[in-house]
Amino acid sequence: MSIHIPPYLEKGDAVGIVAPAGYMPVEKMQTCIETLDAWGYTVVMGATTHSQSENYFSGTDEERLADFQEMLDNKDIKAIICARGGYGMSRIIDRLNFKKFRKHPKWLVGYSDITVLHAHILTRFKIASLHAPMASAYNDGGAESAYIQSVRKALAGEPADYECAPHPMNRTGEAKGELVGGNLSLLVHLIGTPSDLAVKHKILFIEDVGEYLYTIDRMILQLKRAGKLDKLEGLIIGGFTDIKDTDRPFGKSVYELIREHVKEFDYPVCYQFPVSHERENYALKIGGHYKLDVTDEKVKLYES
Amino acid sequence: MNRKHFLNTTSLLLAGISASWAKSPHKDTVPDEELVFRQPPFLKAGDVIGITSPAGYTPAESILPASQLMQSWGFQIKVGNAIGKQDHSFGGTDEERLSDLQQMLDDPDIKTIMCARGGYGAIRLVDRLDWKAFRRKPKWLIGFSDITVLHAHIHRNCQIATLHSKMTNSFPDIWTQAEPIQVETINSIREALSGKKMTYEAPAAEGNRPGSAEGILIGGNLKTLETLAGSPSDIDTRNKILFVEDTGEYLYSIDRMFWNLKRSGKLDQLKGLIVGGFKIKPDDPGSEFGRSLSEIVLEKTAALKIPVAFDFPVGHQKNNFALKCGVRHRLTVLDSGSRLVET
Repeated sequence: MSIHIPPYLEKGDAVGIVAPAGYMPVEKMQTCIETLDAWGYTVVMGATTHSQSENYFSGTDEERLADFQEMLDNKDIKAIICARGGYGMSRIIDRLNFKKFRKHPKWLVGYSDITVLHAHILTRFKIASLHAPMASAYNDGGAESAYIQSVRKALAGEPADYECAPHPMNRTGEAKGELVGGNLSLLVHLIGTPSDLAVKHKILFIEDVGEYLYTIDRMILQLKRAGKLDKLEGLIIGGFTDIKDTDRPFGKSVYELIREHVKEFDYPVCYQFPVSHERENYALKIGGHYKLDVTDEKVKLYES
Repeated sequence: MNRKHFLNTTSLLLAGISASWAKSPHKDTVPDEELVFRQPPFLKAGDVIGITSPAGYTPAESILPASQLMQSWGFQIKVGNAIGKQDHSFGGTDEERLSDLQQMLDDPDIKTIMCARGGYGAIRLVDRLDWKAFRRKPKWLIGFSDITVLHAHIHRNCQIATLHSKMTNSFPDIWTQAEPIQVETINSIREALSGKKMTYEAPAAEGNRPGSAEGILIGGNLKTLETLAGSPSDIDTRNKILFVEDTGEYLYSIDRMFWNLKRSGKLDQLKGLIVGGFKIKPDDPGSEFGRSLSEIVLEKTAALKIPVAFDFPVGHQKNNFALKCGVRHRLTVLDSGSRLVET
C-alpha cells in the first residue's frame, strides 16, 4: 500500500507550533517563528507554547492533548511543528483522534520524542511525516544553515538531495526504498506496541543522544532480535552524541558496536550521516521514497 | 538452521494462540493447568553449585565469601572458567562467557548455576546458548538484574522455573558481621534451593491496591524486560503475577517503560502486579516529573481489577529475597501490607 504524502505548503499557508512533550519558554521559539514568517507562512501558536507549567512538561496531559488535537483538526493548518521533544508523546498518543487528520493529512514536524508520533502515523495510517530540527535549532544562526533550509525545502515540496563525507567504516552499495527511522531509544520503546515501526525492505536511519555505550549495544541487539535489522535495504547511522561510558569501559565505540551487529548482512551502511541532536540534522521524510548511494567517495541520499 | 526453524514454528504457534483468543472474548483466561512450569530438582547436601559470569566482570577473589558460605551449607562449588576473565566491562569475551555458561548448562553434575553478578552482557549470549541438555535435565538458574534476560528466555522457551535472587556479589565479606536483612535474604536462597515453600511479606505501602490473586510469578528488571520486547525472549504475562524492579532510572523513563508494558498489552491480563525496589535517579532541577512511582504505576493499572503491591522486598537493595519465578504463588494485598505465598 502506498504512503500518503501530505500536501506541500504554499505561501500564506498556516503553520502551527505546539509543545507536545517537554516545556520550552516561548522566547526560545522566536527565531523559528520569524523564520517561518519570512518563508511566507502564517504562524499559529498553540496554547502549550505559552505554558505556565512549572514542572517538566509543557502542560498537563490534557492541555498538551487538547492543543495538539486542535491543530490536527484545524483544516487551515497545513503543518504542525513541534517546538521540542524531551518526553511526553507516549503519554498522549493513544488519546489523540486522527479521524480528521487521516482525511486531511498535514506535515508533522519534529524528532527525538516526536519519533513516537512519526512511527504511529506511518504504522497506523500510512501517512508520511517530517523528521526535522525543532524550534531551538533555528537560534544562534541556525536558521541560515543547510539543515533548517532543508526544512524549508521539504515543506515546499522541493525533493531532497543530500550528500555527506564518507566514513571509513561505511559499507558501500546502493539502496532504494521507503525511508523510516528516528531516535533509537524511542524506536525500541515502541516495539510490541500499536505504533511499532515496520522496517522490512526499507531504508532505516537511527540517531540518539546521552546514552551509555552498553545501552546502545542492548538497543541495537533489541532491534536485531526483534527482526528489524536483517531485511533492510540500507542503514543510515546518524549522530550518537553525548555518549556515556561505564567506569570499566565498554571497549567499543558506538559505530564499532553497530558494525559488529550488522556485519552478517549485506546492505549498504553509512555512518555519521547528518541526522542528530546536534546542528547537523537534515529534514527526512519518514515514509518518503529515497535512494541511498554509499561509495568510497561520498554518501548521497536523495528522493526519487 | 534448526534453531531458526524452531523459532518460526514457535511464532506461528503463538500467532495462532493470540488469533484464537481474539475470536473468543469469553475465554479470557488460559486454563490454569496449561500453565505449568517444570521445577528443577531441589538441592541435597553434596550437590554442586556452579558460579559463572555471563554479564559483567567478576574478580576471582570476589566470589570467595559466597562460595565459602554455600560450602558451609553443605554444597560443593564449581568456579566457572569465566570468573576472573575480563574483556573490558564483561566477564570474559562473548565466547568465554558463552562456553562457560554452556558447559554449566550441559554438565549433569552441576545442579544449580549461580550468576556472579549482573551488569550487562547476557543478551549478547542468549541466542547462542543450546538449551537441549538443560531442558532434559533442568537445574536452578540464579541471578537478577541483567540476568532477567536468562529468566525471561527460559520461561518463554523452556517453561522451566528459575530463582530470581541475590548473586555472589551481594554476599557480605564476613558472614558473622552481616546485617540481619542480609542474613535473612541470603538464607532465603538456601531455603528456596532446598525446596521450602516460600512466604514473603511487605509492610503497608503507599499506593497498595488491595486484592488477592493466584498465578505463576514472573518478572525481573523492568528495563531489561523492556529490551526483550519483540524478541524470542519476550515475556508472556497473561494470567501471571508480574514483579518489576529497577535502579538508576529517571521517573520519566520509568513512566515510558510502564507505557511500553501497557501499550504492548502486557498489563491487560495480569493477575497481580508487584512493584519492588526502584532506586530513582533524581529529576534535573527545574524539570520535575511531577508524579511519584506509585502514581505512574496506578495510572497504567487503574482500569484493571488486580491487586498491586508496592515496596516489595525485591530489587537492587539489601532487602532482596529469593523469588521462585515460574512457580505458582498467591498474592494478597491488604491495607496492612502485602504477602506473597508459594502455593
